[in-house]
Amino acid sequence: MQILANALVSAAGYLLVGVGFSLIYTSTRFFHFAHGIVLTAGAYVTFILKVWSGFPLSISIFGGIIASTLLGIGMEWNIYRPLRRRNASPTILLLASLGIYAALQALISLTFGSGTKTFRSGVVPTGLLITGIRVTGPQIAIIVISGACCLVVWLLLRYIRVGKMIRAVACDPDLAEVFGLNRDYIIRVVFLIGSALAGIAGVLLTYDADMTPMMGFRVLLMGMVAVIIGGIGEIPGIALGALLLGLAQHLTAWWFSSRWQDAIVFVILILFLLVRPQGFLGKPLRKTAI
Amino acid sequence: METFRCDGLCKSFGGVRALADVSLQFPLSGITAVIGPNGAGKTTLLNVLTGFLRSDAGRCFLADREITHLSPHRIARLGVARTFQDLRLILQVSVLDNVLLARPYQRGENLIAALLRFGLADEEARNREEAMRLLRLFGLEDMANELAAELSYGQQKLLTLACGLATEARILLLDEPVAGVHPSIASRILDLLRQLPGNEKIVIFIEHDIATVRQIADLVVVMDEGRIIAQGPPHDVLERPEIMEVYLA
Amino acid sequence: MEYLLHVLILICIYAVLTVSLDLLAGHMGILSVAHAAFYGLGAYTSALTAVYLGVPFLGGILVGMGIAALVSFVVSLPSIRLHDDYFIIATFGFQIILFSIFNNWIDLTRGPLGIPGIPEPVIFGWTIRSHRDFLILATIFAVFAHLIVGCIVRSPFGRVLRAIREDEVFAQALGKNTLRFKVTSFMVSAALAASAGSLYAHYITYIDPTSFTVMESILVISMVIIGGAGRLWGPLIGAAVLVTLPEILRFVGLPSSIAANIRQIFYGALLVIIMIVRPRGLVGRYGFGE
Repeated sequence: MQILANALVSAAGYLLVGVGFSLIYTSTRFFHFAHGIVLTAGAYVTFILKVWSGFPLSISIFGGIIASTLLGIGMEWNIYRPLRRRNASPTILLLASLGIYAALQALISLTFGSGTKTFRSGVVPTGLLITGIRVTGPQIAIIVISGACCLVVWLLLRYIRVGKMIRAVACDPDLAEVFGLNRDYIIRVVFLIGSALAGIAGVLLTYDADMTPMMGFRVLLMGMVAVIIGGIGEIPGIALGALLLGLAQHLTAWWFSSRWQDAIVFVILILFLLVRPQGFLGKPLRKTAI
Repeated sequence: METFRCDGLCKSFGGVRALADVSLQFPLSGITAVIGPNGAGKTTLLNVLTGFLRSDAGRCFLADREITHLSPHRIARLGVARTFQDLRLILQVSVLDNVLLARPYQRGENLIAALLRFGLADEEARNREEAMRLLRLFGLEDMANELAAELSYGQQKLLTLACGLATEARILLLDEPVAGVHPSIASRILDLLRQLPGNEKIVIFIEHDIATVRQIADLVVVMDEGRIIAQGPPHDVLERPEIMEVYLA
Repeated sequence: MEYLLHVLILICIYAVLTVSLDLLAGHMGILSVAHAAFYGLGAYTSALTAVYLGVPFLGGILVGMGIAALVSFVVSLPSIRLHDDYFIIATFGFQIILFSIFNNWIDLTRGPLGIPGIPEPVIFGWTIRSHRDFLILATIFAVFAHLIVGCIVRSPFGRVLRAIREDEVFAQALGKNTLRFKVTSFMVSAALAASAGSLYAHYITYIDPTSFTVMESILVISMVIIGGAGRLWGPLIGAAVLVTLPEILRFVGLPSSIAANIRQIFYGALLVIIMIVRPRGLVGRYGFGE
């Protein structure tokens, strides 16, 4: 059905952002809200490269994703790492990331204005009609690329050495250090992967639906909810969560009105937090140890 | 007449049985020591009795009232105070504030009363007096306005005891009250504990060190692997070879 | 002169917002991103009751505070048991849900069009028309809010809040029903925020949802933190600094939107710097677990 297709498109975006966010959370144990602006930055850098500087589309996209990745790593290197060195609490890190988000978002608004921009040229594609479902090229791209990226990450975590190291640090950072794993190095890797995914998401989403300075925040919140209801650290769970959110949003839009799309996501979140805080596949959260 | 007992307590963590059918009736006077090797389940028992952990099975009673699944603060208000193995205090406030916090029945803790302030000053003055009396008892009165973080480890342990007494609880459950402190402070703590039964308090403490137990306990309960393997007066229980083996094994 | 009065009135309104948030964040150590939602709840309640029901100023405020207290009770009772960071996410959720209601329940709130024509306050025959009169009213509000929070903080109730801030388990072991303290504080904080909203509504005489977004919540958080959490006049300093900044920029001739963005860059960056250098802020006592 059309709704399912639309839901998949939305879910794909949330999945990309959610996986990155989850990777970062499991390795650093704080909510990196600035992940949202990393996404937005990727889109806007692509815009700068293509529309302002005239580079070809593929180069611009590549540049945008690189920019996102560098921005994310830059945040980790210059802000989070020094904070971790001083034993900053997760709340302090969260506040810092809110500050980063606020400052950079305002910077983007200042530079580009708050209206929508696009780096597409040409007519908005009307899309193909496949077995009665209307879907555009970019939308197919989102679903396919998102799925592929997440599959790659999942395989990486399971079978490649670096991936296993990431899982070790996520599981028990102190023990991992005892075994000689360099936590800072792993965290940088995680920020690299996560920010790259965010950059890809930013570019893909803009290709489909244009960009605004606030776009990253919205997608991040959705991705975050997908992570929480799917189970932190469990990619299949996050995929499930993202799909649930996409379906909920589009069903709500269809039955009631598209106005309540965002609210329904948070109603679902709160229900999960109250009833099943570990999400579909996650491990139960540890309460304060006595 | 108060009873403090538990019946058939069971608690498992994953595959580990921390408590296996523990039934115990604590005496209504005197000092009881709960001993056993690491992992015997002593702290788990304490946590279940005080409501910080939910048992998988079994029940607890305080004076014929079932307290099995009550929340920790309710149990505390019923007159059961406890200390923690990892010393818990509010380090960023003063020593005096910690003891004042422990004082029960404060009308000032009610929002409306706090805003309207009727009689608050008197209540606070009375609590302050009692708090200072306790601090003098523990030799901490000079540090009353210092942050709790400024105290030495031994002094902090004394402070947690002072807080326990400040709650006016009848039953004191202490988790290793003299572990890790300088011997002079340890003997001060033991002296104070010895006096408590004379003041109508029931003291139950977890301990590793046999010598300490011999000094002040009236009753010894030995746990191993989640079970109670022996109970009795120290001169009896502590002489039994099988008990000593449990410790040396 | 009029302009100076305007700035001072705004400072008073934000003073109420910041000191009420500080009760939660600075004295109890619980961060909430839903403050703007309660601010908006008060504003909309006052506006609707005044415009459509002719309810006088004081009545509207009381109804607004009551509704905020009720909503905050319902919202916090289940969620305040959640682990710190998850509670912050839950408050994000409530903020977005409430904003959605302001923006989308068009029949009630007129959505993005907002509610114009909010009457001037009349208190026992005293009609508040001039800026000077409004400043007197706003100052009374600010003083009241500080008195209430000050009383709470200096009382045994406040002592328990500070205990919860550092070690909730210890507080429980001493017989304190920490849930009661948390929920009560949340309700007081929400009610005070709502009163600021009522004041704002009657001052600007027009409200729309854009004043009550997540970014507004983050602005108030920044004010509290920059000024200093956990000390009574810390938040006031933060409010004064962050309110005057864009006004100075506007005074110098920069258009509103640019001024707002510059302020956001400023407080975002300052938030990060403060977290790195001095989480207690300028004069605060609490550093969020540093």
